[in-house]
Amino acid sequence: MKKRNKIFIALNLGPTLLCFLLIFAYPLLRTILMSFYEIPAMSSPMSKWKFVGLDNYYAMFHNSLFLSSLKNIFRIWLVGGVLTLGLALFYAVILSSGVKGKKFWRSAIYLPNTVNAVALSTMWTQYIFQTKFGLLKSLFTALGIESLAKINWTSPSYLFWGMLFSYVLGSTGYFMLIFLAGIERIPGDIYESATIDGANGWTMFWKLTLPLIRDVMRTAMTLWTIGAVNFFTWAKMFSAQISATTVTPVYYLYNKIFGTAGGAGMGTGTTDVGGGAAIGVFVALLVLVVYFIMNRLLKREVYEY
Amino acid sequence: MKKKHSPITPKKALRLLRYVPLILWVAFWGAALGWIVCASLSTTKEIFTNNLLGSGIHFENYTEAWKYNNVPHYFLNSVMVTGISCLLIVLIASPASYVLAKKTFLGERLVMNFTVCTMSIPQVVLIIPIYIWFIKANLVGHLVTLIILYTTLNVPYTVFFMTSFFSTIPSALTEAAMIDGCTERQAMWRIIMPMAMPGLITVTIFNFMSIWNEYFIALIFANGNDKIRTLSMGLQNMITSMTYTGNWAGLFASVMIVFLPTFVLYLFLSDRIVAGITGGGVKG
Repeated sequence: MKKRNKIFIALNLGPTLLCFLLIFAYPLLRTILMSFYEIPAMSSPMSKWKFVGLDNYYAMFHNSLFLSSLKNIFRIWLVGGVLTLGLALFYAVILSSGVKGKKFWRSAIYLPNTVNAVALSTMWTQYIFQTKFGLLKSLFTALGIESLAKINWTSPSYLFWGMLFSYVLGSTGYFMLIFLAGIERIPGDIYESATIDGANGWTMFWKLTLPLIRDVMRTAMTLWTIGAVNFFTWAKMFSAQISATTVTPVYYLYNKIFGTAGGAGMGTGTTDVGGGAAIGVFVALLVLVVYFIMNRLLKREVYEY
Repeated sequence: MKKKHSPITPKKALRLLRYVPLILWVAFWGAALGWIVCASLSTTKEIFTNNLLGSGIHFENYTEAWKYNNVPHYFLNSVMVTGISCLLIVLIASPASYVLAKKTFLGERLVMNFTVCTMSIPQVVLIIPIYIWFIKANLVGHLVTLIILYTTLNVPYTVFFMTSFFSTIPSALTEAAMIDGCTERQAMWRIIMPMAMPGLITVTIFNFMSIWNEYFIALIFANGNDKIRTLSMGLQNMITSMTYTGNWAGLFASVMIVFLPTFVLYLFLSDRIVAGITGGGVKG
């Protein structure tokens, strides 16, 4: 009986564990290993690898495009994070305050998140930011603000902020749902007794809601950071050719390893595989550091309610 | 608590004010999406002269985009890859989640921690060795590659989600079935799995949406080869070629072709999709 139980557990867990090992653990370790070697091409057998220690990392931090990518994800993280999480929290508070038709509004705010990123970013670049018939142009012309109507949002000087703004509006719904779920877990009688004690809505938000969704806030911040570190699709859609204005580490890696050879990295051309691996490891380390900091900064405190 | 007041008190005004941001959001997205719908049914000239739908509805933008750009092929690819992956994910992940939720065994915590870790490993740190593998196995250029990757990469979140779902189903049911002579395997498949259907459907819709819209993996493994391009990749290529040829009406029709399937799904299933995000924790 006991043996049968063990076999049952092993059979059920087996395929999942296999996934973990083959698609996660092995490639992770392999990439870390590769990042310490000079590898001339994707097809190079291990005998052709040359150990170079931290050289790949050294070269990475002396590459101006990579440094631009770090600056960009920092701006995405900070500015985009404040805007997205702020907007998401704002909408979550409104939705939890007993508005009529809550389900409709909630679905409407989340809707952009369900749209294919290629389709959504096309909508922004080819319509909203369009200089001849774009939505922003029509809007600002109608409002009579000529200086704003004239701006070409996809020109190099505005491209980054245009991209970030559209990404913010495209991700707000997701974080709104997370915040909303957090707020709705707080029992209503806490607010009731606060109201009796004379607290107004503003005080209740800062003194009750915000502290009580601390855990949710931490989750949201972690998720936002992971999204910012992995930022790629929008950067690629807003500039098909890599450029310092919108490059991110993942875009840089993609371009270095897969982009130039058109996805045919096994050809005769040389690819700096070790350098690419170093970028991958760096991105993973960033995520790890973020986890650590978030756990420290917003220590898990359990409020009994 | 009701007091007699004049119709508009500050409190009432504030109550109404709450709707302003909501209406602004809907107005903005409504205008943007509505315009795209109209543009996709107009001619390119009408788009540039701000005279949308001026000469009636041009449905041929859709038929042309559909016919001339291999769209049916991309569409079929997306359907196959997404459908098969979603099925495989559930088949792999749900037995594991059952065990994690209902059994105690050595290394249980380890497996659970592993699940959480794998959920947040960035794909860039895995992609190079995986790419080399698939090249060596001569699998790049086949739909199987996408299916394998989408399946395995989505197993961790599904395990995580379903484990918390299974723990809400009472263990007494399994025990009762086993007293009646079922093996645990039978009890799991015949009694617990049907009860877990709502959870399985929710997580599958969620997986469906993320695989259907996936970009990074598709770009690396499916973009070089027209045979296995998914709809997102196809759209990307169509957009590039249509901005060259100046076929804006066709471009917006293509955007609609990609947008509509998930939109229709969302119209009918938005509650479940919302539950998929907030119900079992949060995807990393």
